[in-house]
Amino acid sequence: MLGALTKDLGVAVRTIRFKLNGEPVSAEVPPHWNLVELLQNRFGLTGARESCGQGLCGCCTVLVDGAAVSGCLYLALLVDGAEVMTIEHQAAGGGLDAVQKAFIEAGAFQCGFCTPGFVLMTRQLLDENPDPTEDDIRHYLSGNLCRCGAYPEIIEAVKLAARMRKAER
Amino acid sequence: MTPFELVEPHTLREAAGLLASAEVRPLAGGTAVMLMMKMGVLRPARLVSLRAVEKRYSEIAAAGGELRIGALATLSALERSPLVARAAPVIAQTLRMLANVRVRNVATVGGHLAHADPHMDLPPVLIALGARVSIIDPAGGRTLPLGELYTGYLETTLGRNELVAEVTVPAQGSRRAAYLKCTTRSADDWPALGVAVVLEADGALVRDARVVISAATDTPTRLAAAENALRGARVDEAVLRRAGDAAASEAAVIGDQHGSAAYKRELLRVCLARAVRAVLDEQ
Ligand SMILES: Cc1cc2nc3c(=O)[nH]c(=O)nc-3n(C[C@H](O)[C@H](O)[C@H](O)COP(=O)(O)OP(=O)(O)OC[C@H]3O[C@@H](n4cnc5c(N)ncnc54)[C@H](O)[C@@H]3O)c2cc1C
Ligand code: FES
Ligand code: FES
Repeated sequence: MLGALTKDLGVAVRTIRFKLNGEPVSAEVPPHWNLVELLQNRFGLTGARESCGQGLCGCCTVLVDGAAVSGCLYLALLVDGAEVMTIEHQAAGGGLDAVQKAFIEAGAFQCGFCTPGFVLMTRQLLDENPDPTEDDIRHYLSGNLCRCGAYPEIIEAVKLAARMRKAER
Repeated sequence: MTPFELVEPHTLREAAGLLASAEVRPLAGGTAVMLMMKMGVLRPARLVSLRAVEKRYSEIAAAGGELRIGALATLSALERSPLVARAAPVIAQTLRMLANVRVRNVATVGGHLAHADPHMDLPPVLIALGARVSIIDPAGGRTLPLGELYTGYLETTLGRNELVAEVTVPAQGSRRAAYLKCTTRSADDWPALGVAVVLEADGALVRDARVVISAATDTPTRLAAAENALRGARVDEAVLRRAGDAAASEAAVIGDQHGSAAYKRELLRVCLARAVRAVLDEQ
């Protein structure tokens, strides 16, 4: 539908190539799509989802070339040539990673809408800072909102994930 | 968002040359542009992405007692730079309170400075440090003190075909600095007031002072009367009160949903004193 719309308006759909969760892919993209629209409309990936649409809540978190971005504020065309990783990425072997296990163990969600973003941001945090204080955790995750208010459990989950990662090493 | 065309030139000067019409807009990190397009206040026919321009415009360097920060450097790069931490720790401290990790990963220094929303955090800090901004156009360029870039709410002296290329910040050296951000609703709300203070001081004796406020005024504003009240003074309660009164009467404070003008003037008195104390206590 949007493809037809943009053709009507005379704006070209462009083909981009990038790596998605380790696989080389290509897609036809109208220029005004954001990254969430690209992942949902072309690849059926719904882990990154738009909620606030303003960069505030983190539900749309995607890693582009290893850096976390808000997919809702990121033009889809700009991932041309990039490595994109979403919550759907499976670690080698296919199981859950320490952060996912810790979120389940701590019961760090109710509806789960915010969970993909929290999990991706927690992995980033622990990659940068394997032993974060509670203050570090609150600060790093201040751009992620949970409408169910599972914050106490989320913070517990991050601490648990840090311990689990340490034990794995 | 309405459809548009995206172009990605390979040099900053070429990018400046593509900006001739009002329908065209530069795009750096896009965090502000995307929001404005989503709200429908910006409907460009064409966006000129700056991400493919020369790598040197993303670099951060320290030389001759100055930091040179390329317009395409991300706020995260600034936050993590050991050069910035050494030359101007107040910048790294300010970045901790600015937006969130994902926005800082994408937003650029040039976009941050050019956006000219008076609620933004780095402009008052950089102006107080004495930063200059280098601007490029299709033929040449110019350099001006950062404070002179701003003319009003979302308004700058940038011509249609001018782009921010670089910002140069004198190292703090023996100067001490603090930035205080006062939000009145939630911690991550836009501030009602930002206060940047840079002092040259021996103990409580202030040899030189720079005070720049943001958010409460239409543009980041240097407060000369408050600076005069501090300069040469040995800071005590009476000096802080005089400086606060001077600030509150000279600043063109604007009321909005974050607080009335009268309330923000009172905030200014309190926050200026706190910021000065924070700087002096740090010594
Ligand atoms: C969720 C969220 C929270 C935020 N919180 C804060 C906060 O706490 N404190 C704060 O200070 N800011 C905050 N911001 C604002 C943020 O700092 C700006 O959106 C960002 O710095 C803009 O940089 P950018 O590279 O993304 O700019 P863009 O969106 O690409 O561009 C911004 C403007 O500058 C123009 N432009 C871009 N680059 C140049 C250039 N080199 N020369 C000339 N013009 C140019 C564009 O055309 C546009 O008008 C927040 C933003 C979001 C989305
Ligand atoms: S939907 Fe993107 S940050 Fe909220
Ligand atoms: S679990 Fe429902 S929004 Fe966080």
